[in-house]
Amino acid sequence: MTELIQKIIEQFPVVVGSLNEGFLQTLKLFAITLIGALPLGLLISFCSKSSFAPLRAVTRFVIWIVRGSPLMLQLLIIFYGPGLMGFPVWGGGQSGRFWASAVAFILNYACYFSEIFRSGIEGVPKGQQEAGQVLGMTRGQIFVNVTLMQMIKRIVPPMSNEIITLVKDTSLARVIALQELIWNAEAFTTTSHGISGAIWPLFFTGVYYLLFNGLLTLLLGRLEKKLSYFQV
Amino acid sequence: MAFLEINHLEKHFGSTRVLEDISFTLEKGQVLAIIGSSGSGKTTLLRCLNFLETPDQGSITLDGKVLFDANDPATRAKQEIRKKRLHFGLVFQSFNLFPQYTALKNVMLAKELLKKESPDYKENRKAIQEEIRAEAEGLLERMGLSDRMSNYPQQLSGGQQQRVAIARALALSPDILCFDEPTSALDPELTGEVLKVIRGLKGSDSTMIVVTHEMEFARHVSDKVIFMADGVIEEMGTPEQVFDNPQSEKTRQFLNKSREEY
Ligand SMILES: Nc1ncnc2c1ncn2[C@@H]1O[C@H](COP(=O)(O)OP(=O)(O)OP(=O)(O)O)[C@@H](O)[C@H]1O
Ligand SMILES: [Mg+2]
Repeated sequence: MTELIQKIIEQFPVVVGSLNEGFLQTLKLFAITLIGALPLGLLISFCSKSSFAPLRAVTRFVIWIVRGSPLMLQLLIIFYGPGLMGFPVWGGGQSGRFWASAVAFILNYACYFSEIFRSGIEGVPKGQQEAGQVLGMTRGQIFVNVTLMQMIKRIVPPMSNEIITLVKDTSLARVIALQELIWNAEAFTTTSHGISGAIWPLFFTGVYYLLFNGLLTLLLGRLEKKLSYFQV
Repeated sequence: MAFLEINHLEKHFGSTRVLEDISFTLEKGQVLAIIGSSGSGKTTLLRCLNFLETPDQGSITLDGKVLFDANDPATRAKQEIRKKRLHFGLVFQSFNLFPQYTALKNVMLAKELLKKESPDYKENRKAIQEEIRAEAEGLLERMGLSDRMSNYPQQLSGGQQQRVAIARALALSPDILCFDEPTSALDPELTGEVLKVIRGLKGSDSTMIVVTHEMEFARHVSDKVIFMADGVIEEMGTPEQVFDNPQSEKTRQFLNKSREEY
């Protein structure tokens, strides 16, 4: 037992260095997914509510495909698909893997977000929109000045859930060999940075996820509290 | 020519006819009370006037200008609808205040957005803002809400919320202000304060259309009363004519019933 602890203490600086690198990649994927999927999700939610029936049908179909199939499969298809069809767009390096992951995650999460946005918008009573209309506001003005804030308040709790799931989902990108947190940890079980057969780094990644999600929970909770000055 | 002229208005929802051959006129500064049992089409009529519903037949003429004519495609165009809506104001039964804004901001918002579109907004931003705020404060004061301006709707009683909603509608100085049962979502104690405010608007040459179940209010405040039944105007006249000497059997029944409840 003491032998193991001694070994861990010895390996700790090297392992943490490598895990930090992986976590940075995880964070990057997390951030780019949010930046891309939030606006895209809003756009998709508008399309899925469009009064133009074909657009609505296509959007709902895409949402069904994306939500109905595993994200891991989507990653594989987006990364390997273009190459198999003769258009290798990603390249083989880490940067190609990162951008392929980003596209897959943004698409996938945008579809989930769009459903949250949609229910958030639909949850705002019709009377709010009508009050804006009789006051001579345009549709855009009503969305920005009346609906948006009430929608945000409604969607913070379900959004928080998705965001925390996203943090954990980023580890799926290892299926296309993106060197994120778990990938780097797993490497120590074989050989990495001169360390072989160490399984504890894999367990230790849990600390990263837990701390980061703890921080997010705190921030999102604060946002929820900040919006509690009004009721919807 | 009367200030407001409604001619042969008709509205269907699917195969149900909700309004049938509605015609009436209203002079500037007059108050029209609309009474009638539930489902008779009162709300639908107000919604047509505020362009929240599009009538299937008929026309709406205000101050000599045809705002809507079912047979004239030009007046049905969507682009103009926003401008037309500004001629009318609507106070809802359920207030529909914007919950994320204070009472004052509720009153200011629409005017701010409107003024932002005027070409001189950028140069005179401050002065315009000041003016809008002063006007809104004045309106809330008139509604007896000077000490409630920075409250959010959830912090106000139903009666106070409805008074904010009235101030909000007045902020755009509509030619005709419509009320859809403004007190029926309120406790009886709060009804009086809202009716008092509406009564106070009379004379300040606001033209008003009030859908109400408050018969005493309709009798004493209105210049003209319409009794609606099943989508048609069953009886129309001065309050004396309609309340004291109703011609139609349906009107008599309705009035008797509402007297019993009273
Ligand atoms: N959007 C709609 N779709 C279908 N039917 C409707 C719609 N709006 C109203 N109606 C019907 O039209 C009729 C008149 O409704 P309206 O709300 O105008 O009556 P009202 O006189 O305001 O009644 P109340 O006193 O209960 O408010 C009712 O039979 C109602 O069911
Ligand atoms: Mg009604």
